[in-house]
Amino acid sequence: MLQTENRRPVNQNELCYLTITEAAAALRQKEYSPVELTGALLKRIESIDDKLHCFITLTAELALRQAKQAEQELRSGKDRGPLHGIPIAVKDLYMTNGIRTTCHSAVLENWVPNFTATTVAKLQDAGAILLGKLGMHEFAFGGPSVDAPFPAVRNPWNTAHIPGGSSSGSGAALAAGLCHGSLGSDTGGSIRTPSSHCGVVGIKPTYGRVSRHGVVPLSWSLDHAGPMARSVEDCAMILQTIAGYDAKDPAAADAAVPNFRGEIGHGIKGMRIGVPRVGWFDENLGVDPETEALFSRALQTLEELGATIVEIDGKPFSHARKANQTILVCEAYAYHEKRLQQAPEKFGSSVRRRMLEGAFLSAADYITAQRARAVLNEQIRANFTRVDVFATPSAPRPPEAFATMDPNEQNLRPSFTNPFNLTGLPAISVPCGFTHETLPVGLQIGARSFDETTAFRVAYAYEQATEWHKQRPVL
Amino acid sequence: MIELTLDDLRKIAQRTGLELADDELQRLLPGVNRSKRQVAELRALMEAESEPAATFNAADGK
Repeated sequence: MLQTENRRPVNQNELCYLTITEAAAALRQKEYSPVELTGALLKRIESIDDKLHCFITLTAELALRQAKQAEQELRSGKDRGPLHGIPIAVKDLYMTNGIRTTCHSAVLENWVPNFTATTVAKLQDAGAILLGKLGMHEFAFGGPSVDAPFPAVRNPWNTAHIPGGSSSGSGAALAAGLCHGSLGSDTGGSIRTPSSHCGVVGIKPTYGRVSRHGVVPLSWSLDHAGPMARSVEDCAMILQTIAGYDAKDPAAADAAVPNFRGEIGHGIKGMRIGVPRVGWFDENLGVDPETEALFSRALQTLEELGATIVEIDGKPFSHARKANQTILVCEAYAYHEKRLQQAPEKFGSSVRRRMLEGAFLSAADYITAQRARAVLNEQIRANFTRVDVFATPSAPRPPEAFATMDPNEQNLRPSFTNPFNLTGLPAISVPCGFTHETLPVGLQIGARSFDETTAFRVAYAYEQATEWHKQRPVL
Repeated sequence: MIELTLDDLRKIAQRTGLELADDELQRLLPGVNRSKRQVAELRALMEAESEPAATFNAADGK
């Protein structure tokens, strides 16, 4: 137990699992300090991360230095906002000045950038404390890296299972109580899938909402940077800090940034929730039955909260995966072409195989996918005359075991995340239950362009009506 | 849609400056043909006048 001056005693592990909202309030009430908070997390990382492999690089000295600075500033009345003194960690494709950025790859194993990603700089300006850089799927593509220089991240709910990717460490570290917030990136579902598989919350904001400057690209026209956390409100707080126009990102949107928490507690009475089930959920192997049952139960809860469920055509959503994957492999290959020509052996087998597919697609194939993107965007967005948001499971099945994982299986089930990359629409994943093996399942809510506020509102209403986000893995 | 063969992949790889062994090309072949089939399905969705989502804006040169 930790006993601080004129404050309540705090169990160190409980300290590590505080939400940002709780931690921010406690720091200001002087129940404990940023140094104590950071110290508790570093101790926990030291004691359990050897079985999870969430961190590739731990920046303990920097974190303690930043924590001391935050402590002094808060004591002297200089308050930088709700993230001041809060320890976070970022996926290892966010460039960090003077700190290696590996993308979980031998290709960049010892690469140390000389500038910091806009998002990380914004977090640091807001007083957040950087604990380190998190494991991921190599170059945010392929599957769990089995032949990379760093071990694959494990799922805290069951270390024999994958945590989902590609922002694997960003999800697992939150679930394990190793940080209070994290950054992931999402090109086809890489924030929402690990959020779902690890039982945490993650939002892929609208394309252009958050700067990608200093984020190693996978696919320029599909890449999104975004936050992950243990609660919807925490996610909204991180997004508030990192959102906004950035002249250094050609895709950045010059759109007003609303108060994402402004309407979060307004409820969802009268809201119309579109479920694109027909023509999508049953494609190929379909959705795992337990996932489908938990999703149906989540829809019932949303109805009980006053929303109306509207069945809509799932076919355009189903087609979206084909366009998303085509664009993704072509752009990923274009970005890595020189490296693949000169030293293909430096890439892990999974990511190399997937990237090389792009070499064999033609310019006409790429343009066809971009033409389809325009058509599918129109079809999917047309639903907003009938519904306010979309709801789907975040992933078609619970996290697989490493031992029985079939890398081809993902093509045999619907991808619930891809359509939101193709359309650029915001989408959030929030925990919606557990399987009989105590593996987490997520609910995805998609909203109109630049309307993250509504996505947060629905996710928050659901979260507050349930207890799933309060569950902790046994570690 | 005409499926690509191992020989097609060999020629394309050579043209693109990729040095890939036959066994690696063989492993790539099913994925490449699956991608090609997906593109063929997308082609069927479009009208002749459909333009790509990626466009050039003369105002800002991007």
